[in-house]
Amino acid sequence: MTDTFYINWTTQLRKGLLELAILNSLGSGPLYGYELVRRLGDVDSLVITEGTVYPILSRLKNEKYIESYIEESTSGPPRKYYRLTARGREELRRMNEHWEQLHGALVSLRKEKKR
Amino acid sequence: MIDLTPEASTRLERYLERMRAALRGSRSVEPGEVEQNVREHVEIALAGIPAPVGAERLGEVLEQLGPPERWLVDDDRPWWRRAVQRISAGPEDWRLAYVAFGVFALGMLTLPLGIGVFILACAFLISRAAVDLLAERGEPLGARRWLVLPAIWLVLVLVSMGALISMIAPAAAIGIGDGNLYLVTGTSHAEPGTLERVRVEVGFLAMSAGIWWVILAAIFAAIMRPFRTLFLPVTERLGRKHAMILALVGAILASLGAVLLFGVR
Repeated sequence: MTDTFYINWTTQLRKGLLELAILNSLGSGPLYGYELVRRLGDVDSLVITEGTVYPILSRLKNEKYIESYIEESTSGPPRKYYRLTARGREELRRMNEHWEQLHGALVSLRKEKKR
Repeated sequence: MIDLTPEASTRLERYLERMRAALRGSRSVEPGEVEQNVREHVEIALAGIPAPVGAERLGEVLEQLGPPERWLVDDDRPWWRRAVQRISAGPEDWRLAYVAFGVFALGMLTLPLGIGVFILACAFLISRAAVDLLAERGEPLGARRWLVLPAIWLVLVLVSMGALISMIAPAAAIGIGDGNLYLVTGTSHAEPGTLERVRVEVGFLAMSAGIWWVILAAIFAAIMRPFRTLFLPVTERLGRKHAMILALVGAILASLGAVLLFGVR
């Protein structure tokens, strides 16, 4: 596997997983953009460029998976919070289920190889 | 609102301008909402730093945000950006086909301006280069035919039509326009619109066209190979029999014209 191949593969994988990661982060409660970016940044190598998160938030909002509201802050400008909608929760449940299936299948493939 | 130095302010505005350009035309992303988020992000990231905030500190935040041109996934990009991306990143043989079609489309659009003829000639050459490249690699044209053949077909049709009718107009101008026909057939020019005039003129035109097509068939047969090569793969099956057919049609037309002109009184 060449470096280029590996880099392309990890980039594609990261892009695919970022939506799931955002929805899961919002699954535990409303977050404003900067807070969400910081939280995702804590997951090693998930977010390389922080700005990538914002178009995804816009798209998820357009799809009505999340909604936003403004809340005043005591330490700085008012913040735009995002939270999951009922539709978003249902979609997140399906996505997590699919991810579990996929992950399980990959793990079992690795186990078979070891035998 | 955070207080920025003029340099930092200009830098932020340039960054946001780049971002707006990168998101413009996106199918599912609202650039306005993203901009609002980015402004909020910058303000929170720089909160607590003594004002006015300089370009260097702002630069660190923008660097973390990354180049906006890379923010969108492929599906979110407008169709024309995806097309440009495909052309620039696609395999060489496909790239050439896309370029050929792009130049062809541009030529068609600019045809009324005159420059379109030159652009279409370029499209023809690029299309032929694409066809030859694939032939050298032993690859079939496949779906690429829809991208490279339009320009080749168009030029072939224009050249063929031009060759078929090119000599008929001057012949008509000499024979009918100058009254020379009167000398041959004795038909008076003072009788416009009469059945006699129609017979003579149609007969003359048919005979001229027929004779020209017989001559053209002979020229065509002589230059068959370079002609076929020039318009490959459209002319792949072109052979001497096609020249014979043209000569035969020409001969029949010339005969009919002669009968109309001299045989019917």
